[in-house]
Amino acid sequence: MAKVRIDLDTCIRAGECYYNHPELFRMNDNGEPTLLARELDTPELIRHAREAAVVCPASAIIVEE
Amino acid sequence: MAEAAIQTAPRTDIDPREFDGPAFQKNPFDLYKRLRDHHPVYHDRFHNRWILSRYWDIDTAFQDNGSFDRAQYRPGGPYKFGTNHVFGPNILEYGNSNEHRRLRNIVAGQFVGQKLDDFIPMIHQICEEVVDRLKGSDTFELVTQFSSQVPIRVISNMLGLPREDEDTFVGWYHALIAGLGFGGEHLARGVAARNEMWAYLDPIIDARTGKDGEDLLSRICNAELAGSRMTKEEVKGFVALLLAAGGDTTDKAISNMWYHLMYTRPDQLDAVIADPDLWQNVFTEMMRYDAVVHTQLRYTTREVVMHDQVIPERAGVILYLGSGNRDERVFRNPDTFDIQRDDLHMGRENRSGRYKDGKPGHLGFGIGQHFCMGYAMARQESQIACMKLLQLYGRPAPRDATHPGITSPNIDSGGFRSPSELWLRKA
Ligand code: HEM
Ligand code: SF4
Repeated sequence: MAKVRIDLDTCIRAGECYYNHPELFRMNDNGEPTLLARELDTPELIRHAREAAVVCPASAIIVEE
Repeated sequence: MAEAAIQTAPRTDIDPREFDGPAFQKNPFDLYKRLRDHHPVYHDRFHNRWILSRYWDIDTAFQDNGSFDRAQYRPGGPYKFGTNHVFGPNILEYGNSNEHRRLRNIVAGQFVGQKLDDFIPMIHQICEEVVDRLKGSDTFELVTQFSSQVPIRVISNMLGLPREDEDTFVGWYHALIAGLGFGGEHLARGVAARNEMWAYLDPIIDARTGKDGEDLLSRICNAELAGSRMTKEEVKGFVALLLAAGGDTTDKAISNMWYHLMYTRPDQLDAVIADPDLWQNVFTEMMRYDAVVHTQLRYTTREVVMHDQVIPERAGVILYLGSGNRDERVFRNPDTFDIQRDDLHMGRENRSGRYKDGKPGHLGFGIGQHFCMGYAMARQESQIACMKLLQLYGRPAPRDATHPGITSPNIDSGGFRSPSELWLRKA
């Protein structure tokens, strides 16, 4: 099953993931993105993960298919 | 900073008519401070609105999309997009909807990263051309002869419009902007200019749709996200918006940067001359100290409790960015302009308003869902313009010993703050 993870060392807190894809990402109090799911078990979640990986300016979102 | 350490303003009641007076337009900061210190949630019954003025309260409202929405439409009532806007239908009319996400994401990528970098050489060239015309004069007026020339010419070039039409485009721009601030006869002229511009753009849009041109207009016409594109009306609305949101704001940012180095902190100009990287700090501190945009408006979508006060559902809430930026709970000596301050994130902004260096950022681009889409472009362009003027014109000095100061036509209408004139001479 496809999985997603975020590399918090490269993440610059730009927020594009959680503002554009609240279905999968949320912001914590430090501005860091957190995942609502790690395993992407619906086509919708896979789409959100892939789109977020594209818009992330730091390339910090990794989708493992 | 501990609450106890803060020097508070004397407690005084606020007369809502103070917001309408010329004194407030010139210097809103004293009233901001009274709001922050004693009325952090202020119910302005006279204008039927609520006001937030502290940094973290404004941050909360920007971040809390469940409670605060930007939409201009009433959920229940009829609303025709573009009817009450000089720009026609545009992204600013949308709230926190999926429709907003769709429109924003189609275009947002055009103003950052590599796409922005592609336009940088052109920005250099435009700035050089504009300074070239000033080089021979011992004095010049910065606002009309420099600041208001650069961003609009940059946008016209980004859109890939023919260079011989550039002056016409600049003319439409000035009419449109005047239409935003003043109403009446100006509004009519603004709308007329918009219509002329749209008629001009119409065949150009047709010609570029479906072709893979590299200019911004082609990219916007053809940008596709998940199978969705902008309609022709949306493209035109976006171009009009670009002139104001991207042109007029940057124009005023450039004037404000020079104003502060000429009159507020002339002692810091030497440092900038020695190290041009400091233009980045000048931009950032300008955006904090007296941001171009002081006001954003939100509507509550449910009852909200803040500082023990209940803001009802469907209330209009003013967020005073210009006040949050001077919040002594966040910044030391907030009323001092200092490009070397170490308690402000000086680098590029981001949408979350949270930075790895742990420092707070300025609020001048907003935060969150509607965070300024042109943040990277505005910064680059302002820095390049200021740097070029210094390099090619040489060190300027103020022509007049005193200056009436920065003001705004009407802050609450969203009027942008800047000096109306700034005469400079060769130092
Ligand atoms: C120094 C110059 C600028 C300032 C002070 C500024 C300020 C702002 C502010 C405060 C907002 C937030 C609106 C809200 O919260 O509702 C905003 C949004 C926006 N800005 Fe800027 N801006 C500047 C430059 C630009 C440029 C160069 C562009 C061109 C691309 C631009 C395009 C936009 C757009 C399209 C939005 C709406 C975004 C959305 O609703 O998602 N701005 N700007
Ligand atoms: S979009 Fe990328 S950089 Fe921005 S918060 Fe998400 S993971 Fe971090």
